[in-house]
Amino acid sequence: MFTAAGFQKTWEYIDLFKQGLVCTVSLSLLTVIFGFILALFLAVLRLSDIRPFRALGIDADGHEIEDGPRAVVSRFNPLSFIATVYVEVFRATPMLVQLFIIYYVVFGNISLPTFKLFGFIRFERFLPGVVALAMNSGAYLSEIIRAGIQSIDGGQTEAARSLGLSQVQNMRYIILPQAIKNILPPIANEFVTIIKESSICYTIGVQEIMYAVSSTKGATYRIAEPLIIATVVYFCLTFPTSKIIAYFERRMSRGDKR
Amino acid sequence: MEIRDEVLISVHDLKKYYNKGVIKALDGVTVDINKGDVMVVIGPSGSGKSTFLRSLNLMEHPTGGTIVFDGVDITKKKIRNAEGQWVKLDIDKHRQKMGMVFQHFNLFPHMTIMDNIILAPIRVKGISKADAEKKALELLNRVGLADRANAYPIQLSGGQKQRVAIVRALAMEPQVMLFDEPTSALDPEMVGEVLDVMKELAHEGMTMVVVTHEMGFAREVGNRVLFMADGRLLEEGTPSEIFGSPKNARLQDFLRKVL
Repeated sequence: MFTAAGFQKTWEYIDLFKQGLVCTVSLSLLTVIFGFILALFLAVLRLSDIRPFRALGIDADGHEIEDGPRAVVSRFNPLSFIATVYVEVFRATPMLVQLFIIYYVVFGNISLPTFKLFGFIRFERFLPGVVALAMNSGAYLSEIIRAGIQSIDGGQTEAARSLGLSQVQNMRYIILPQAIKNILPPIANEFVTIIKESSICYTIGVQEIMYAVSSTKGATYRIAEPLIIATVVYFCLTFPTSKIIAYFERRMSRGDKR
Repeated sequence: MEIRDEVLISVHDLKKYYNKGVIKALDGVTVDINKGDVMVVIGPSGSGKSTFLRSLNLMEHPTGGTIVFDGVDITKKKIRNAEGQWVKLDIDKHRQKMGMVFQHFNLFPHMTIMDNIILAPIRVKGISKADAEKKALELLNRVGLADRANAYPIQLSGGQKQRVAIVRALAMEPQVMLFDEPTSALDPEMVGEVLDVMKELAHEGMTMVVVTHEMGFAREVGNRVLFMADGRLLEEGTPSEIFGSPKNARLQDFLRKVL
């Protein structure tokens, strides 16, 4: 199990863990930023009302047709459909498979520049890692955004529309300002999840914390001690983060009672 | 009673079906709403009275029938313009002219009372902020809430919220006000303050359609009372006709229960 000598040996490689920490944090930050942009885009597509065959759903008299194949076709929104398929596929398949497909298949034939970030992170491995993580968390984040928007009471939209506000104005002035408050805590929690899930990137050679574990293992033939150190580092990253989130969550809900 | 015969909203054979006609929330309602009418809609729950009211500004899209408002059948998605071309019907334009007050107030919780009221005049009508605020203060004064302009909805009582909701609708200077059970969610002691505001509005000549369980209001303020049940308009008349000599058996039964 653990020995003092084992820790001593492992400690000689502590710089690997420091590098791993830097790498994990930058991986997670970039992932959450790009994931959020992607998620916003997906959520907008899913909630959009772009129906190319809309005209088919209106009869010669100008009324809307309620039933039948014409009504179904007229309601078809291709952008929303594509976004839904994207979200469902990414949520229904393992992260590891997605990562391998992106690293080996998508980026397999693209030669990326081979410089090193912060002097040690290999960009040609780091970038596919960010892309895979961001594409995956984008799918989850878009569900959070969509749920946040749909959690706003329907009466709000009714009141806004009854005053003559358009659907876009309703979103901008009524729904989104209220939804963002509901969305921020789960987004912050997703950030914590990403910190943990980024460990999967060691399988494609991104030098994050788990990569430091496996390098140290190879050099020292010790596994328990490096894993303990990794656990401590991950915990020190995620625990304060979630505590800070909980604090802001409490502060924001206090505003509700006023 | 004075003669009010300038038709503002003409409803013909209005239908709203759910589940492909299994549930008929509205089953052919025909009625003309005249300028200056205070039309009170009564009936048991599930009678379709709220659906009827909500169809008038297309909060619910009817399955069939027509609603002619301002000379336009607003149930259509496309209409022919003066040149005979098909154009998209802009429902937002028509909704601006119909104020609506909801059972649960539906004030915007993230805005002050003032911002609740001036949002639509500024964003929809394009009125300057100063003018909109002046108008809002005048209206708030009338309902006795000018001192709460900078409060948030959460800080108001139910009755105050509903009065603000009425002011918010009035700020758009609508041609008709639709009230969907405006006092049903209020504590009993707050019902009076809201009804007083509605009464005043009626006396100023505002056209109003009111779905309510307040029979006193119907009798005292309404000039026409509609009785609905099972999605149909079963009886229509003046308050004295409806409450004094009801003909329909369902109405007689209903009145026995509520009065």
